[in-house]
Amino acid sequence: MSAAGRSFGDDDAHTRLFGAVDREALRDSLPIFVPAIPFGFVLGVAITESAMPSGAAYTSSLLVFAGAAQLTLVSLAGTVSLWTVALAAMVINLRHIMYSAALAPAFSRQPKWFRWLAPFLLIDQVFAMVSPRTSDPPERFRSYYLTCGSVFFIGWQAVTLLGIFFGSFVPASWGLSFAPGVMFVGIVVLMLDRRASVVAAVVAAVVCFVAVGLPNRSGLLLGAVCGIVAGFLTDRAPRREAVGAR
Amino acid sequence: MSVTEALTLVAIVGAATYAMRAGMILTLADRQLPEPAVRALRNVGPAVLAALVVTLVANPEETMNGVTLAEVAGLTSAGVVALRYRSLVPALAAGMIVFWLIRWAV
Repeated sequence: MSAAGRSFGDDDAHTRLFGAVDREALRDSLPIFVPAIPFGFVLGVAITESAMPSGAAYTSSLLVFAGAAQLTLVSLAGTVSLWTVALAAMVINLRHIMYSAALAPAFSRQPKWFRWLAPFLLIDQVFAMVSPRTSDPPERFRSYYLTCGSVFFIGWQAVTLLGIFFGSFVPASWGLSFAPGVMFVGIVVLMLDRRASVVAAVVAAVVCFVAVGLPNRSGLLLGAVCGIVAGFLTDRAPRREAVGAR
Repeated sequence: MSVTEALTLVAIVGAATYAMRAGMILTLADRQLPEPAVRALRNVGPAVLAALVVTLVANPEETMNGVTLAEVAGLTSAGVVALRYRSLVPALAAGMIVFWLIRWAV
């Protein structure tokens, strides 16, 4: 029976959720998690210095699970109105809509419980890791996704707590906050498999650099949208030439 | 800020973030997307993550957005090594080592 023809209505969700740790995903996740450690420390320090009570600020790691938005949340809290803080954090997370749209076709053969659970774990790194896996068999995609997501979720809780208690002992002069940028460059390069994807990345980076001063990091969204459009137009270009040659 | 206010704030942002992550998956998973949309969505990863790198490194309050020679060299090294070896671990190592060396030397 083909994977597409299976019914997932009778799936034992518990077995599928806890019985399938994907070793390859585990092996792939660990090196990508390393650069997130200094970021977690930075967040931990920010939590201790925030106007929010530390315990309540920590719950953002459990409920929001998005480093940049959390950093905005705890840094701005107490300095502007509640709604302004919430809005700023939400604008930073708008890119997740694009992640969700990009992965949606891969969920057509997934059970409902996974469709509801998976988005909670959809952070930048998980998106980058599962994107090349969308054509895997459904069960394989699911176990890979859940393992990656779990590694990052559990790890993020740990490093946030470590950052709260020990973050101030790491000297800023080590420059460890640069590590996530280095890791994402590597991930982007591994995604460049077509001319259109190269154009998308370059245009996005250039536009974002020019617009980086826009409020609430909205330069990121502007750059991303311009990159996606530029890549799309690059994909279309040969077709137009072919039509014109007829 | 009181604990109640802080928890309310976290709950609002958490719910909104989940809605952003889940919205398209829950509404589009069972639909056949038009071919142009599928092609456009293939560029989401490279575009968003490239813009994310710039956001992580740049500081708009400084000249040239605060990007230093050590950072440019570190990012370039990571990119070249990733391209050559198709692996993230050596890319991360190369990027950080070049970054530290140039920062130390300059």
